[in-house]
Amino acid sequence: MNELTMKSKASKKNTRANKILRALSYLVSALIVLLFLMALIPGLKYWNIQFFTQFPKDGMTAGGIFPAILGSFLITAVALAISIPLGILLGVVLSEYNLEYIKFVVTILSGIPSVVYGLFGLGLFCITMGMRTSILAGGLTLSLMVLPVISSSVYETMRSIPRELREAAYALGARKSEVIFEMLLPAVKKTIITVSLVSAGRAIGETAPLILTAAVFYATNLPRNLLSPAMTLPTHLYFLAAAYGQKARWMAEGTASILILFVIIVYTIAFAFRREEK
Amino acid sequence: MNSMNSDFNEMVIEIKDFSAYYGPKKAVKNANLKVYKNKITAIMGPSGCGKSTLLRSINRINDLLPDFKVDGEILFHGKNIYDKDIDIYTLRRRIGMVFQKPTPFPMSIYDNIAYGLKLIGITDKKEVKERVKWSLEKAALWSEVKDELEKNATRLSGGQQQRLCIARAIAIEPEVILFDEPTSALDPVATQKIESLIEELASEFTIIIVTHNIGQASRISDYTVFMYQGEIVEQNYTSEILRNPQHEITQQFLSGKIG
Repeated sequence: MNELTMKSKASKKNTRANKILRALSYLVSALIVLLFLMALIPGLKYWNIQFFTQFPKDGMTAGGIFPAILGSFLITAVALAISIPLGILLGVVLSEYNLEYIKFVVTILSGIPSVVYGLFGLGLFCITMGMRTSILAGGLTLSLMVLPVISSSVYETMRSIPRELREAAYALGARKSEVIFEMLLPAVKKTIITVSLVSAGRAIGETAPLILTAAVFYATNLPRNLLSPAMTLPTHLYFLAAAYGQKARWMAEGTASILILFVIIVYTIAFAFRREEK
Repeated sequence: MNSMNSDFNEMVIEIKDFSAYYGPKKAVKNANLKVYKNKITAIMGPSGCGKSTLLRSINRINDLLPDFKVDGEILFHGKNIYDKDIDIYTLRRRIGMVFQKPTPFPMSIYDNIAYGLKLIGITDKKEVKERVKWSLEKAALWSEVKDELEKNATRLSGGQQQRLCIARAIAIEPEVILFDEPTSALDPVATQKIESLIEELASEFTIIIVTHNIGQASRISDYTVFMYQGEIVEQNYTSEILRNPQHEITQQFLSGKIG
């Protein structure tokens, strides 16, 4: 009996620790939600057709942010179009060809600050390769940034598939390519979708690399092609805050709210996919 | 020594003075063995005796391991499968394998079988459908899954998963099927189903099964090979080996003194 009561004491202690941990995690989540709401709500009142469809006017005191929305969309699209296929390929190669050293390099790459990627992109794409400040240069720079994220995720998921499954496929007479592309890749399809969405979320909010490689302060025309510079949501927000101050505050709030909304949408879909995966 | 005199049976596989190494470690030592058509040959022995290594050498699946090396010959219809001109992909299609743990691919039941069919060039929808049904029937799984072929195979029970793996193996119509302790991860009921299934399959396929379970060998196999520490100690009709083992070590294994 004594033992039983001791046990119940221990488990009481456990429940208390659990309660505290739970309360703390609610607190942290609440803070994050608060932060999101503070960025989202003040801008909501500026949402109207003009805000989404017009150019900024009168020294950022009127008009809308259409070019920034379009620019962000284009740059993110370029970044994903390059990084998703390359990232999958890199992840597959890393996992199926035992390239531990390269994996190490990729892990380091994912820890480099984004502004350093920006400088690299400025040097390589804008100047050396002559793309100047452009959507393409910005998209390429961002694609380099999210490439390690995608490839690491694909790598980890591929590695989590047990060796026995690979053997089973080989035992049916499959070649390596048939094991990889027809058994392993379909098995990690959902991970690929999830990580692509997460990467989209990261790319759309990235600021520093775009200031250096793609973004302009203000555009009177829409970008003509991928070699044109563009406005983007995060850089627009930065320029507004840095250079215009109080009189453009409304536009900054509106921009922030849209940016946050995009990020929420993208991550929500990614989260839903991940849940379904489990 | 070798009292298997199966004059009436066609020999499918002949293992001749075959040794296998993991790096410096010799896991199979100079094995000699004959496998006959449409018979069940059980390879039995305590764990670590090299029985799985020997089995996994027959479809060259151990080639995937970096340090694996072999000596000697494994003849499949008289042709050494370790010859340079052997296409291992064709070889593995003709010598199928079912593993210890069930290995359903993380896709639908249907796609699990269609995957193998695609490897042998069968992609015509109607034919794939027919083969899926045929193989699932043969594996005694059809009646249980016929209404949920799109269900993810990983959600089947362990026994069902193993029968799916058998269906997947037979769908591409191999000649020989290798079973590597196929029931060691299963409960007794599922085990019994797999055992009777293997017995039925012997009418169409040549079967080699690795097991450390004496009861299993005695229930289903025609021939039994007993291995110990990498060597084939003796081989005979299963009933003979069980009744009258020639070697002391075999006797000890059969009586449960080693295992």
